[in-house]
Amino acid sequence: MSIDQPTTDAGPATAAAAERPRAAGPEWLRRISPGRYSGVLAALLVVCVYLAITEPAFGTWDNLMNVVKSNSVMFVLALGATFVIISAGIDLSVASAMAASGMILGLTLRAGWATVPAIAVTLLFGLGLGLIMGATISWLKISFLVVTLGGLSIFQSFALVVNDGATISVFGLSGFSPIRSFVNDEVAGIPLLLLFDLALLLLAGGVLRYTRFGRALFAVGSNPEAARLNGINVGAVLMAVYGIAGLTAGVAAIVSVGRLTGASPESDPTLLLTVITAVLIGGTAYTGGEGGVFGTLIGVLFLGVVQNGLTLSGVNTFWQGMVSGLILIGAVGLEVLRRRGRLPRLRRGGPPPENPPAAPAPAAGPMA
Amino acid sequence: MSAAERAAQPLVRLRGIDKSFPGVRALDGVDLTIAPGEVHALTGENGSGKSTLAKVLAGVVQPDAGTIEIDGERCTIASPAAALKRGIVLISQELTLAPTLSVAENVYLGRLPRTRLGFVDWRAVHRHAREVLDRLDVHVDTRRPVGELSVELQQEVEIARAMSSRARLLILDEATSSLSEAATDRLLQLVKQRRDEGVAVVTISHRMPELYEVASVATVLRDGKLVDSVPLPRTPEQQLVRLMVGRELGDYYGKREIARGEVVLELDGLASNDGKLKPTSLQLRRGEILGIAGLVGSGKAELAQALGGAIPSSGSVRVAGREVSLRDPRAALAGGIGFVPDDRKRAALLPTRSVAENFSIAWGDLSRGGLLDVRTERRRVREAIDRYGVVTASSQHLITTLSGGNQQKVVLGRVFALSPDVLVLGEPTRGIDVGAKAEVYRLMQEATEAGAGVLVVSSELPELLGIADRILVFFGGEVRAEFAANGLEEEAIAHVAVSGQPLEQHAA
Repeated sequence: MSIDQPTTDAGPATAAAAERPRAAGPEWLRRISPGRYSGVLAALLVVCVYLAITEPAFGTWDNLMNVVKSNSVMFVLALGATFVIISAGIDLSVASAMAASGMILGLTLRAGWATVPAIAVTLLFGLGLGLIMGATISWLKISFLVVTLGGLSIFQSFALVVNDGATISVFGLSGFSPIRSFVNDEVAGIPLLLLFDLALLLLAGGVLRYTRFGRALFAVGSNPEAARLNGINVGAVLMAVYGIAGLTAGVAAIVSVGRLTGASPESDPTLLLTVITAVLIGGTAYTGGEGGVFGTLIGVLFLGVVQNGLTLSGVNTFWQGMVSGLILIGAVGLEVLRRRGRLPRLRRGGPPPENPPAAPAPAAGPMA
Repeated sequence: MSAAERAAQPLVRLRGIDKSFPGVRALDGVDLTIAPGEVHALTGENGSGKSTLAKVLAGVVQPDAGTIEIDGERCTIASPAAALKRGIVLISQELTLAPTLSVAENVYLGRLPRTRLGFVDWRAVHRHAREVLDRLDVHVDTRRPVGELSVELQQEVEIARAMSSRARLLILDEATSSLSEAATDRLLQLVKQRRDEGVAVVTISHRMPELYEVASVATVLRDGKLVDSVPLPRTPEQQLVRLMVGRELGDYYGKREIARGEVVLELDGLASNDGKLKPTSLQLRRGEILGIAGLVGSGKAELAQALGGAIPSSGSVRVAGREVSLRDPRAALAGGIGFVPDDRKRAALLPTRSVAENFSIAWGDLSRGGLLDVRTERRRVREAIDRYGVVTASSQHLITTLSGGNQQKVVLGRVFALSPDVLVLGEPTRGIDVGAKAEVYRLMQEATEAGAGVLVVSSELPELLGIADRILVFFGGEVRAEFAANGLEEEAIAHVAVSGQPLEQHAA
């Protein structure tokens, strides 16, 4: 309540701010005030510093770019999954939709298609799978768990059927070389893939923060009935959300085929769960209505860096699952405790020089 | 009075209770003594700490400091289960029912009677549940899942559960906020009955008449501090309200002289597809406030929902002379009908979003080609916060950090700001404090001054009498009586609402 002495207020402005009537801090303070993923971001920085000191190879440019490239598939899928989870749903089919889309890419390239039509068909295929699931969920009102679980099974099976379970090697095919360049080439030492990931991140973040659709999505995830009563077409929003997830499966398929120089009908069985883990670590709530893609980036990087660190330090990668599981429970658990008011809120005015368009930054904890 | 003699030994004595939440000092050194056979009202504006105090008593929250004595013995109430063991039962406005279980199971949740073989005695469960519900005059199949019931009926089930328990201290935290007047009366009768049996009752309510009817003492809290304890009903209402808000409120409902304009809303045979609202025709003029009264299930809630496009309906609706489709909420809004639902939490709030987003969710005109105009949004949110008197430290704070009254102002303001021709408001002051109520009335008056027609559905008759120009009473899904509010008695409305027939002297 110390409106008359604002200078003494620069310390831990934990709580008094909530009581102060209409004394919002300056805009920049609100912007940089830590969002939901600040704890994970801090932990990521700590891990990076630790690895940089103990493993000289970690801090090298090549290694860091390797982390980026090898996690691009996970990242692209996680962007789509972020939209789905904000809508209070979950898409269990992303990994198999990616495998199915990858087979489409492989088949079209093998059939001698040029790059652009092959890519276009792959993306449309992924989008189509997502839209079909979205339509089933929103118009037939079947639970997203049921529909995407069915999708998981159907798309996986499709991927196996179309080429009798065999991998399609695309190495040396004429249509493939631009894709290979895309995943491997660099501009001024910066991998194209990194630029592509950043572009997707900004696009997704912009959609969430600066479009009518983004607002509608958060509203639907937060309270679908309230969203409906305020004129939002909830069904259309859900359909779009699963369409986006399907589209990212198509994009991820292109990246994956490019990196593996082949389309495999089998996807990494842990990929789906890793994607969801990354989104949740990044502060998007599984209950819907809050979160953002910048948190998801942090979540993906965290998982990627931990895996890279374990590899570099010669630790058996079998440990990876334990580490990411603990991180997931820890990160989500901390957020839950914080929300219940069991933990003090993080201080404001910390250093994270983020400019997160997608991160809603609630400045005060809910009262019980 | 025998109750007074028994009161020699207080049932519960709280001393110096402190409780802080992140951002708030909810309770600050509060003392409270509750005697058996006493109905003790806790009053104060929203955010004054009443509910927190109730939660301390019920073991839901633990105080940071202070002592609790029960029967003169110091103790802690570590959990809701511990409170129940000591006979402390809380009925809160937040329902704690299991939606997929039957009505009877919910009434006996956690204490289902057993047969000699140790199986649940279902016949006894249903029979006892039936008895309790009959005493509350609630007619509902005890085998139905609670989740299928309306909010009002769910609240009655919750009350039935508390009433059937062996309580020594009964805490009613806004327990009547979603009940009709008649259901409230039945509850108050039960409260009196339990009081006379020596049960202590703590009641929290924003409805003054209720407090004056049952309570013998009112403790007033403001900003977490105890202001005063005064005897009821001896203390005049004016004085009690002044203690609560710390200032004189003046005329509560506001006075206005509005020249009524042309007909802005015209219904011709509007009926809900579920049959709860029978074909209804009515007219509303610009500048007019039309009150809709009736019991739960009378069709009054369905009228508002149908007008808002929230439930499917048939019939003709014209706004300012133009035929409007009520296919969905979007169509109703586009046609000039602004609808505020009666259940704020379930149907209006976006709990995980900021104050700003809770405003702008309804403002479809903020985007062009799908892109939001963020600068305009920020400006309009700032204007709305001022205009609708929302108290918040920042428009970026979570909506759930605001008090109920301020949340309601956001919910109303988001629709009012669109300046629709017709405003349809369901229970606009439910569960908000007197200060906030007065402000909501002011906003309604301002809307009519700007030329809107307002249709307000309310279960609180004094509110309808104070604010409305004309009142329609619903019974059995249709309009049974129409009154000019001027000089009207509550009794006249209540009679129609209960019986469907006008009182003799009002008979047409």
